[in-house]
Amino acid sequence: MIPLSHFMFISAVLFCLGLYAVLTKRNAIQVLIGIEFMINAAILNFVAFGRFDKATGGGQMFALFTIVLAAAGVAVALAIILNVYKHFRTINPAKIDSLKD
Amino acid sequence: MDYILSILIFLPLVAALLIIVLGSSFRERFKYIALAVTVIQLFISIAIYLDFSSSTAFAGINKESQFQLLEKIPWIRLDLGSIGKLEIDYFLGIDGLSMPFLVLSALVMFVATLASWEIKTNHKAFFALLLLLNTAVMGVFCALDFFLFYVFYELMLLPLYFLIGMWGGARREYAAIKFFLYTLFGSVFMLLVIIGLYFSVINPATGNHTFNMILMMDPSNYIGNSIFSTVANQELFGISARLLAFIVLFIAFAIKVPVVPLHTWLPDAHVEAPTPVSIILAGLLLKVGGYGILRVCISIFPEAAVQSAWWLGLIGVISILYGALNALAQTDLKRLIAYSSVSHMGFVLLGIASGTVEGVSGAMLQMISHGGLSAMLFFLVGMIYNRVHDRDIASFRGLALIMPQFTAFVVIAFFASLGLPGFSAFMAEAFSLIGAFTSAEINGLLPRWMAIGGAVGILLSAAYFLWTLQRMFFGQTRLKGGDIWLSQLKDINIREKVALVPLAVLALALGIFPSLAFSKMNASILAFIQLFSG
Amino acid sequence: MGVLSFSAGTLGAFSLIALAFPFISLFTILWRSKDSLGHIAIFNAFISFIASFIVFCCVWNKEVIHLQTGWFTIGENVFTAGILLNNLSVLMMVLVSGISLLVHVYSLMYMKGDPGINKYWAYLGLFCFSMLGLVVSDSLLLIYIFWELVGFSSYLLIGFWFTRDAASQAAKKAFIINRIGDIGLLTGLMIMYAQFRTFDVVKLFGPMGLVDSASIIDGIWISPVSQMPVVWLSVAGFAFFIGAMAKSAQFPLHTWLPDAMEGPTSVSSLIHAATMVAAGVFLLGRVYPLFDSLVFNVIIIIGVLTAFLGATIALTQNDIKRILAYSTISQLGFMIAAMGIGAYGESIFHLATHAFFKCLLFLSAGAVIHQLHHYKEHHQLEFDHQDIRLMGGLGKKMPVTFISMCVAAAALAGLPLTGGYLSKDAVLITSFEWASGYHGFKKLVPYVLVLTSWLTAFYIARLIFKVFFGKLRYEGITEASSSMSRVLIVLAICSLFILVSFNPLSYEGSWILAGFTGSGVKPFEVFHSIVPIVVTIGSILMVLIGFRIYAKRDGRTFREKGFFYRFSNRAWYLNEAYNLMFVKPVERIAHYSYRFDKLIVDGVVNLAGAGMGVLSRVADWLDRYIVDGAVNGAAVLARHTGNFARQFQSGRLQHYLITMLTLVVGFFILTYFI
Repeated sequence: MIPLSHFMFISAVLFCLGLYAVLTKRNAIQVLIGIEFMINAAILNFVAFGRFDKATGGGQMFALFTIVLAAAGVAVALAIILNVYKHFRTINPAKIDSLKD
Repeated sequence: MDYILSILIFLPLVAALLIIVLGSSFRERFKYIALAVTVIQLFISIAIYLDFSSSTAFAGINKESQFQLLEKIPWIRLDLGSIGKLEIDYFLGIDGLSMPFLVLSALVMFVATLASWEIKTNHKAFFALLLLLNTAVMGVFCALDFFLFYVFYELMLLPLYFLIGMWGGARREYAAIKFFLYTLFGSVFMLLVIIGLYFSVINPATGNHTFNMILMMDPSNYIGNSIFSTVANQELFGISARLLAFIVLFIAFAIKVPVVPLHTWLPDAHVEAPTPVSIILAGLLLKVGGYGILRVCISIFPEAAVQSAWWLGLIGVISILYGALNALAQTDLKRLIAYSSVSHMGFVLLGIASGTVEGVSGAMLQMISHGGLSAMLFFLVGMIYNRVHDRDIASFRGLALIMPQFTAFVVIAFFASLGLPGFSAFMAEAFSLIGAFTSAEINGLLPRWMAIGGAVGILLSAAYFLWTLQRMFFGQTRLKGGDIWLSQLKDINIREKVALVPLAVLALALGIFPSLAFSKMNASILAFIQLFSG
Repeated sequence: MGVLSFSAGTLGAFSLIALAFPFISLFTILWRSKDSLGHIAIFNAFISFIASFIVFCCVWNKEVIHLQTGWFTIGENVFTAGILLNNLSVLMMVLVSGISLLVHVYSLMYMKGDPGINKYWAYLGLFCFSMLGLVVSDSLLLIYIFWELVGFSSYLLIGFWFTRDAASQAAKKAFIINRIGDIGLLTGLMIMYAQFRTFDVVKLFGPMGLVDSASIIDGIWISPVSQMPVVWLSVAGFAFFIGAMAKSAQFPLHTWLPDAMEGPTSVSSLIHAATMVAAGVFLLGRVYPLFDSLVFNVIIIIGVLTAFLGATIALTQNDIKRILAYSTISQLGFMIAAMGIGAYGESIFHLATHAFFKCLLFLSAGAVIHQLHHYKEHHQLEFDHQDIRLMGGLGKKMPVTFISMCVAAAALAGLPLTGGYLSKDAVLITSFEWASGYHGFKKLVPYVLVLTSWLTAFYIARLIFKVFFGKLRYEGITEASSSMSRVLIVLAICSLFILVSFNPLSYEGSWILAGFTGSGVKPFEVFHSIVPIVVTIGSILMVLIGFRIYAKRDGRTFREKGFFYRFSNRAWYLNEAYNLMFVKPVERIAHYSYRFDKLIVDGVVNLAGAGMGVLSRVADWLDRYIVDGAVNGAAVLARHTGNFARQFQSGRLQHYLITMLTLVVGFFILTYFI
């Protein structure tokens, strides 16, 4: 039996890698990949904690639900990135600062 | 002619408005308009003089019915609710204390206008301001309502400030501001006293508070416990309120007189002012001070005046001696005459302080005489300055050779000023001193040494005038400006003679026939003395 | 004389005519052309003299005429103006107008060709008017007025040649010193008025007048209308005396008179010898009843001192006019001293004789000066034509001048057969009689006077001998013109005894003396014979000594050095002393007073002004930096905060995320660890 803490550890590392990518990457696709990392870290946690809920299988359920959401999110995000690229001629998030007042 | 005083006062104002309205193509005519006004005023004032009744039934001073040419029109009536009704009258009238000054004012204004021929810039403003000043001066001498008096009194300042500040000499701004602030300093506190008096005095006829000066002279019109009431004897800062009010009013007028040590605006203002303004300053403004002391200070606060008479006399003697000593040290002719004014006005104060008929008559005559003579002196200085733009005594020598007629007028003016008998200043100074001396027996206000101290001033005045005469006019001709000056120093012309002769005649006439002035003033002065010391 | 008799009013009119005509001369000043109006002036002087003479004949020793009219009113007091004709005033009138007429005639030649000649006539007219006005005035106020007018006309005449610095300075000095006297007189007037409420001379000093009726009780001087401490009685006496001192050139106010010699000689003769300087004596005569014993003592001391001082200074002067000026001072000292001892009539007597002989001395000196001046101009020489050391031998060339001057000199020296002899004896004898009643310093008085009259004989002899005797220096000098000479002759006759008394040796017979009440001094017969003899012998001796020294010029002379010589020559160093004691200090006080005015009085004002400026700048600073600073500070703070907060909104997604992360982590740390 693999102890819970191993899952947690992997999940945390995965989350941090994702976070790092989101915060530092100069390419929106890479940032999107970072987001996927983080979502997967969460899914891993759902699956790992699903062991405590064998009867209803809530953890598995949420994991599946999240995977679907993530897939939809990536599709929308890629569409946005494409539009951004069309508008700004770049997908470097550091260069897109029109949110500034 | 019921409104003759109003005509006298406001005629120049109308002319001033006319000048303002007229276009600049008339600029050469402005002086003639001003001159015409002063000539008309002169005739009116002489008519007033001739028609003036000198009987005791028209003594004036503290009895309204005894004033002559009275004009009383309600001016400002404002309901102030619980305080009562504001009662300010347009109230004019003359008695023996003010009538001589009307004649003097008209004459001096006439001379000053003739002296204005020297003004070369901005005729319009100059003559408009001169006429405005004329109105104010005439108004001060006629006003019997304290509010009206104050309005005219302050109105004098404004034109003078501009006249000195715009047409003056090198340091004109300094002199104008100094003059303005000095005088304002005095009159601001005067305003406080006026308000205090207003709230203390009730017009018995209407039951309102009033600014009527004549009602202020009657102790029975004061509200029992008011600040300036004679019975309540209120105190302010540890001294009697009435004494304090007297001192404040006295300082306000003493600045105008001026007395030592409040005189330092005078030399600066005179030196920087253009000739016509110097003439008016010395001839009339100083008299407003003396007149104010008589009409306002002493008449309203006689018992405080009696209390302070010793100090008044002392200040008078100090002014006489100190002014004369300073005149002796001057190198600028105009400054010398300015200091001589301080000295001569000291006699006025000494005479007034004596509280005797002789002293007050002498003081009044001294004011009239000095008005004419100082106008003459400043006119003469202005003539030299106009010709060569220099007034240093040391720059001239032997002027008598090149300007004999001018010198003759200078000799007349100098000797008249130093009190040569036959001229008005002698009678005036002699009776001021006699009054001061007699005071010790009659009312004990002044010690005898003050009169003798004042007499020494006569000696000093001889010294500085004669010394100047000897240095500037006698000896061989030697001028700082050499031959250029020699051609510029033309002898006196017709216009200047027209200005000087009336002044010389006035001095001579009052010297030989002092009754010309004394007879018209006598009843009023007696009533004044009655109010003052008895 | 008895033929003439007029009513009082007519006589008053005559005296007014005597006044008015000289006054008309004043208007010659308006005459533009250079032609002399001398004849008009002389005519006026002549009319004045005639009128005066008529008045004199009708009033002398007869009635006293007092006419007055209201002048002006102050309070309840009516001030009158009027004329008082009594022996004193009519004598002075005839003296003044007579001598003035002579001087007018003399001036016609003497001043001929002067460019300001009409001014001269005008000033002379003004002087005669004022002097006559002075003597006939009935009120102290009028006396004061004419008193100063006399001083004024003297100022004008001394400074007549105003282009000369010395003249204009002398004029100034004369007027200012006279002003000191005027202040004295004015003080006297003030005391009189305060005490008696009137200026009327008759009411004040007349018989049974106010001054007489005033009494002294317990140190209080009580008059019918007022009272004051008795010290003011003495002060009043002193005050009038100071007035007299200045006008009559008494020590210490005599220094103007020698300087006044800068004026034309004819003027010196009329004003500074015969008439104006006598005004002081006249004034003492007018206010005589006022003096108390203290004042009398001072008058005596000053008079005697002045007489002696004048004589000693005259000994060594070299300017012919200055010698005569000091001699005048000395003679005036005699008159004042006589007044002091109570010899009222004797004093006036001496005044009258002195007027003639001193006028003559000056006019003769004037003739000499005039001729020398013309000689100088004609030969184009350069020398001081008034210096007696440069004269000599003129007696042969100018006989009329010489003789008349000798007569005048004899009168001055008090030699018999002259008017001066009589009047001087009168003064000396009375002084001996008076002194016999006293002890102490008063005993000295007559002896000093005798000594002085001997000195007088010596210095006038010196003058005569130096000028008219010895070697003639200026060949070709001529006698003065006949119109001048004639005046000298008339005056010479007037200087003889015959004018004043028929008895040439005794003064008691003099009609002038008879016109005044006696001195009241107890007569001693013995003095009446001894004194004249001693004095005359002494004087003659002095003249002889002078003759030996100055006329013969045999080498025997006084050394012109040594302390006494210098002391006398420099007029006792009084001018220097006055300069040091009064003139300089007054100038310095004036200077300091002006510095005080500029630095302290005006300084305080300017300091107040400057203080206001500083205060306003402080207020401005406070307003700008503190009050407004607080407002601005709030705004600045808001701006800075805003700017700081703005930085967070960079518009970059990742920055926002970092911020969110930081906050979440921070919040986590905060909640978890604290």
